[in-house]
Formats: sequence, C-alpha cells, structure tokens
Amino acid sequence: MHRSHLRFLVVSMLAVLALVVAACGGDDNDSGSSSGGSSTTAKKSDASATAGTDNTKAAEVQGKKGGTVNMLAGSDVDFLDPGRSYFTQGYMVIYPTQRTLYSFKPQDSAKPVPDLAESEPEISADKKTITVKIRKGVKFSPPVDREVTSKDVKYAFERFFSENVGGQYSDFFKPIEGTPSAPTKGVKPISGIETPDDNTIVFHLKEPAAVGVAAALVMPISAPVPEDYAKKFDAKNPSTYNTHLVATGPYMVKNDTAGNTVGYKAGKSIELVRNPNWDGSTDYRPAYLDGVNIRTNASDANVASKQVLDGTSMLFDANPPANIVKEVATKIKDQYTQIPSGGYRYFPINTTIKPFDNVDVRRAVAAGFDRNAARLARGGKFTADLPTHFLPPEFPGFEQAGGYEGPGYDFLSTKNEKGDPALAASYMKKAGFPSGKYTGSEEFLMVSANVDPNKAQAEVAKAQFEKLGFKIRLRLVPQDAVYNDWCQVPAKKVAVCGGAGWFKDFADPQSMLQPVFAGFTIPKNKNALNNNMAQLRDPKVDAAMKAAALLDGDERLQAWADIDKMITNDVPAIPFVWDKTTLIRSKNVNAVANGYYTAWDFAWTSLK
Amino acid sequence: MSTGASETLLEGGGVDLADESAAEIAARSPLELFWRRLRRDKVALTALTIVGIMIFIGIFAPLIVKLFGLPNPNTQNDDLLDDFGSPTGPSGAHPFGVDERGRDVLARVLYGSRVSLEAALISAVLIVVIGVTAGLITGYFRGRIDTIISRVMDLFLAFPVLVLAVGLGVACADGCLGGVIQPGLPVVIFVIVLTTWPYMARIVRGQVLSLREREFVEASRSLGASDRRIIFREILPNLVAPIIVYATVLIPQNIIYEASLSFLGVGVDPDKPSWGAMISDATSIFQDAWWFMVFPGLALLITVLAFNIVGDGLQDALNPRTSK
Repeated sequence: MHRSHLRFLVVSMLAVLALVVAACGGDDNDSGSSSGGSSTTAKKSDASATAGTDNTKAAEVQGKKGGTVNMLAGSDVDFLDPGRSYFTQGYMVIYPTQRTLYSFKPQDSAKPVPDLAESEPEISADKKTITVKIRKGVKFSPPVDREVTSKDVKYAFERFFSENVGGQYSDFFKPIEGTPSAPTKGVKPISGIETPDDNTIVFHLKEPAAVGVAAALVMPISAPVPEDYAKKFDAKNPSTYNTHLVATGPYMVKNDTAGNTVGYKAGKSIELVRNPNWDGSTDYRPAYLDGVNIRTNASDANVASKQVLDGTSMLFDANPPANIVKEVATKIKDQYTQIPSGGYRYFPINTTIKPFDNVDVRRAVAAGFDRNAARLARGGKFTADLPTHFLPPEFPGFEQAGGYEGPGYDFLSTKNEKGDPALAASYMKKAGFPSGKYTGSEEFLMVSANVDPNKAQAEVAKAQFEKLGFKIRLRLVPQDAVYNDWCQVPAKKVAVCGGAGWFKDFADPQSMLQPVFAGFTIPKNKNALNNNMAQLRDPKVDAAMKAAALLDGDERLQAWADIDKMITNDVPAIPFVWDKTTLIRSKNVNAVANGYYTAWDFAWTSLK
Repeated sequence: MSTGASETLLEGGGVDLADESAAEIAARSPLELFWRRLRRDKVALTALTIVGIMIFIGIFAPLIVKLFGLPNPNTQNDDLLDDFGSPTGPSGAHPFGVDERGRDVLARVLYGSRVSLEAALISAVLIVVIGVTAGLITGYFRGRIDTIISRVMDLFLAFPVLVLAVGLGVACADGCLGGVIQPGLPVVIFVIVLTTWPYMARIVRGQVLSLREREFVEASRSLGASDRRIIFREILPNLVAPIIVYATVLIPQNIIYEASLSFLGVGVDPDKPSWGAMISDATSIFQDAWWFMVFPGLALLITVLAFNIVGDGLQDALNPRTSK
C-alpha cells in the first residue's frame, strides 16, 4: 500500500479510537448540576444537623439478641494489644473486648462512665492523687479465667512504659510519679501507682494534673492485663501478647485453649466471639450480637461500600469514598450514620514570619478565606461543618465556647463561608497596608502532601492567600514528610502549612488546645518536632492554660472555652473543617456508632 | 557540496522529468526538491498545519483565553462545584467543563500547551547541541576520548530512565547545581536532557564513523584540510538530514516525556497547568468527570500525532529512496 495511504488509515483509526475513549466516559452520573451552588448564607441547619440515622435513638433500641455481623475494612488494626494500639481500627476491636477503667456510651461522647471502675474517680484536693475503685465480679476470659484485681491494672500501666510494648501516648501519664523518662528494658514497677487492696488503685502524681490524667483513664492503657499470664509474652521484643490476648469485655478475639489468638489473621480477618466469662450484670453494654467477622483486606472501598449497602448483615469500617457518601445522602437517604469526628482541621500560619506576626494580617486572611472551597476539597458540607473556633462539636467545652455560632468574631463567622474581600481589606488596612493588599514581593513557603485531599485543600489555601497579594510557593512532598520534615520543624521556616488536623484522645479540652497552641510546649531546639506549628506565644493564653489545668468540673470547661475564644481571636491558624465521620450499614442492621472512637460499636449493634 | 546532493538530484530529476518539458530541465537545489516532495504529501501538510496551530496557541494562549472570554486558568470557582465537590461538565460558559477546583479546563488546556512545547522544544535543542557535539568528537577523534565519553553514555543509557527522572525531580525540588536549575520547568528540562542526550550522541557517532571513511573526506585530508575544516565543512553538512529526522522524533517523544514526568509529580509548578498533571489529577474522578481527563488527553494525542506525522513526512522528503 502506498505509504501516505497507510498513514491516512492510521490517522483515521486513531481518531476513531479517541472518540471511542471519549464516549466510554463511564456513567455520567450527573450529579445535580449546580452552577451557583446554594452556599450563600449559612445554611447552618443542613450543615450542622447530623443527617442519616439518629445514633442516640439507635442506641436506645432494645435489639434482637443473636446473629453475626460481617464488617468489611480496607485496612487492618495496628495492634490488638491494648497497651500498644493507637488507631481507630484498633480501638474498634479493643473497646468491645477490653474493659478500661472508664469508657463512653454511644449516647454521650463527652462524659465517660465507669466501666471497669465502680464509680467516678476520687481526686484529692491538691489535685495530686486519683483513687479508683475497681468493680467486683469482672473476670478474664479463658484461659486465665480468674477475677480482675487492681494489680492487673497496675501491670497494664507498667508494661505500657516498657520497650517491648512501647505505648504511644506516654505523655498523658508522665505526671504519675515513678514513670520512666524513656522506655524501660523489661517491665519495671512504677512507684506512683499503689494497690492497697484488690479493688482499689491509687495514682500519685508529681504535679497537680489529676483532672487531666483522670480524663485520660478512658484510653486502652487502663485495660487490665494479667501479669502471671502475660509476663512471658512481654519478655519478648516486641511483646507477643498481641497474639495471646485475654479479654474482659462482652466479646473476645477467638482463641484456642492454649491462649493463642487464632481469630486474628493479620492482614486478612478478625473473628470476634462472645466472652464466656463476661457477666452482663456488671456491664452497661447490651451485647446483642453473638459474633462479628471483620475482613481487613477489602481494599477496594467502592466495591466494599456497595456490597455493604446492597447486602445483609454487613457494616463498612470507615468513611466511604465521596461518591458513596453522595449516594447515601441523596439517593438512599438511609443506611448511614454521621457523627462528629472529634477534631478540627486547620491551616497553621507561622506567627514568627513577617508580616504574619501582625494579628490583623492574620485576621485579614481569615476574613477573606473561602472556607467553603476548602471544605469542598474534602467532600463538601455533608462531610464537615465550618468551624468558628477550635473545640469541635459534642466535645466538652464546645457549647461554652459558643457552639456552632462560636464567639462571633466577624473574621470567622457562620455568615462568612466564602470569604469577604471588603472585610479582609479593612483588616489589611488596619495592619498598615493602605491598599488593602500585601505589597511585598517575597515568596512565602507553603508545604503540603502531594496527594488529594491534602493537595486539593492546599491549592485552595494558596489561592486564598494570593487574593490578598501574598506570593505563595507551594511545595508538594510525600505525605509522611509533610510534618516530620517540614511543618513541625521551625528551622524550615514554613509560612503556612498546607493543612493539619488535631483529633481527640479523650474528653478533656486541655488535650485539644494545649499541645497545639501553648507557647511553653514549643521545644527550644529549632530542629525538634513541634506541635505548635503556628509557634503561637501569647503570654495571656499561656497563663490562662496553666491556671485552667488545675480546675475541675464545669469551671474547667468554662475556663478552657474562654481559652478557645482567646486563641480564636489570635488567629494562629485558619480552622476550616469540623469533620463528620460517615458510617454505612446494611438495611437489616441496627448499627450503633461510638462517638469516642468514631466507629461502629459492636457491643451495642444488633440485627433487626 | 558532497556527492550526496548529486545523488538526490539524479533521482529527483528522474521523477520530475516526466512532468515537465525538456526545455525546463534545470538543476534543482536539494531544498527545492525537498519542498516539492513535502508539498505532495497531503497528510504531512495537514499535520504541519496542526503543529503550527499548537505553536500559535502556545505563544498566544493568554490572548486566546481573553478572546474567548474564559477565566484565568488559575481562577478557582467553588460555585461551579456541587455540594459534594464534583465539578460541572461542558457547558456554554465552559466548553471543556471545569476541574475539581472550579478552574476552566479549556483555559488550562490552552495554557498547558506552553509547558509541553517549551519543555519539548528547549530540551530538543539542548539534546541536539550536546548530542551532536559528543557524537562528533567521539566519532571523529576515536581513541581514548571516545572510550571515556562512550562509557559515560553507556552509563546513562543503562539507568532506568523514569526512576532516575523521578529521583532527580525530587532531589532538585528546591533547585540544583547551585541554583542554576530552578524548581519547576527547568528541572523537567534538566531531567529530559540528561537522560536523552546519549541517544542522539550515539546516532551521530554512528553516522560520523561511516562518513569519516568516505572518499571525499579522504580527498579533503589529502588536500591538507585541518580537522576543524573537515568536521565543519564535510561531515556536519551531511549530518543535517539525520539530525533533523531524529529531532522530529525527539520533539513528540519529549512532549510525552514531559507529560509522564508531570503525571508522576516531577517538576509540577502549581501555577502552570500541564497536560500530564491534569491527567494525573483526573484519574481519581474519571467516572464522574470524564471531561477533565479526555480534553488534555486529546490535546496531548493530537499534538504528538501531528509532530510524528510531520517527522515522517520530513523523513520521506529528505530520503526519497526509503519512501516506497
């Protein structure tokens, strides 16, 4: 064939191919097309009301006893060992199987209730001693089979600080006398933990931090571990207790008579069965289900979500992909529960870099910031509320700080979701820029992860700063380098971090605000990792924090709420979402979510 | 000129004689002959027009965007996203739809041509300069210098190209070589040139090796011509044809190379839309927003195809004996 004819053929074939590819554009699920989307004045009622099933009502239902539920999860737990786990997935299995001193009912994630403990913790007047009474009649599952004593809780704390277990949140318990400054070789006794009798445990503290430490007793560290049984496993490095667990909760990970945790197949599945030694009369949990099968390698979230929605007796472990959220919220309108994720996401602004050291410049940035666009980068109003301060919804101190409306500052208001250029310009003028925009020519460094949604939200943030005349250089780096190598290192002089989040560890406002905004937590070494990425050093805030740490009860909540307002007024960061976790279920499951660890609660869920 | 030209004259003259009267038999320069052959190749001419259009778009993108009344390619507009953050598709105001930040895709595709063409053309020029120099030196002088440079070339050829490229891209994210290479497009050009020059050098070296043994070179040398004169006056002119041919293959190859690098995140400047980066961003929402991938993809396809066809056409026009 003549060469140019051949070429013609090739060209036309390719053209056809291109058209075919274009046509195969998949289902054009035309999402409600939406030019001029309705995000004008604060539609607070849509945004803040949790949509889907009412979780409190679901928890009140007297469920049918029996049945098994299958859960599809895209990732495995980090650990099943209560001393080691520090991850939502791990907590999801630990809390139905291990009884911590205090824990949370699904109906209230702000106030813990006594679990292994019999009553509220007794805090001494000098705030240096915590006394907890341990409930009688709680037994370990086979093969240990005996009643739990205070010594088991003491051992749980001591092993946490050992190298072979390596607990990941030791900072919360460092105030206890006798805790080591570095992980110990082998399990060493902690002098500050006293067990005067089998049902009493006393924590002696070095400083008056009892309120904070007592609040932290909800964490898995306080779940009892029998020393006689676990000693040999904890002697190995790393500890092999993870595959030789005993339980105290209504459920346990299936094990054999020798104690091997056969129900845990790493990276594949976890099988929960009833704990034969659990006495329902000692526990507030109903425990309707007979068992739970978790598949931990359902890596295609889209496929798994659809299976859960279309199938029976199934649950999905975490937030489904955005298109599934859209489907359940708009088409199915059922089969999902939304709960606050218990944290805030924010863009820290480095207050040590000019002109961001001027609070009016920061206020200008906040006033002009289109936070709705940043929220859309993470999935829009069905997945988050727009913050007006830092303490998140349903968290202690949230209402006192103004709730959804917040302190009412004009630069961070529910009426200003998309940014107000006039207001921003007025703050810039106040800061000394008569044109209403920044006039300098230097480039400010912004660092973000190179994957969505972090990249997407950083692009939005960059555009917001540029609206005010700031030149931003956006540097994209791998996810695990963003904080460790850049944002948390003061020496790197990152002007704006492309997004950070802080989520609750337990229900106390000190842990939500102090690590992130206290001037006295910033390490002296400019190369050390620093949580206070904005490097806020406000003496008024610092003094208020030190005083508020000593308070208790309602006084404490009010004091920390006032600190929240003070911090908001300083604008060290732009908070842009209060996340909501969306959990989906099959039609026939009366699934109940636990607001503390933001996952389905197996001990309250039942089949319809 | 060398005997190469008279060979062309003979063949070309043979074909043309059939068309013209005997009185008009005159010597045609190789350039004229080349032009005539090219003009006859309709497909190549169409492709050439498309290439011309792409270059025009690349140069005048800001003007075109203004003329069409499109917004700036970096203007984000969250009104064009639905409540879940999904972008709207092609419509009157936005013929190619918008992307996930509400930016107009047509404007970004138009501006994207600048990045692609800049990267491809500048790298091609650099590769030709470096490759030809290296090829000439090693092919003509042989000996130790040939051994050293050839081994260096082999080293570069042995590297897994994409892995090296991504590694360099990350290492040079803040600029390298003491600030000579700035982050963004210069990094991409640096990576492309560094990994591609050995191919050009090899081809040139091969050509030079055969050319230097030809009679006209020997003749020149026996007349007392210096090395420099031989290289510039005898060998280099004969290299023009293969260099042009390879350069025309190089340009579309570089366009794809740049797109692959920006797809992988190397050298992406968030302020400059690039087709590869757009395609990469579009993969996650392809099922809901096909336009975001299809249009930059089509632009890439059409540009590369056009350059390839022009290259083919040039090849045919320069070396007619290979056309059948």
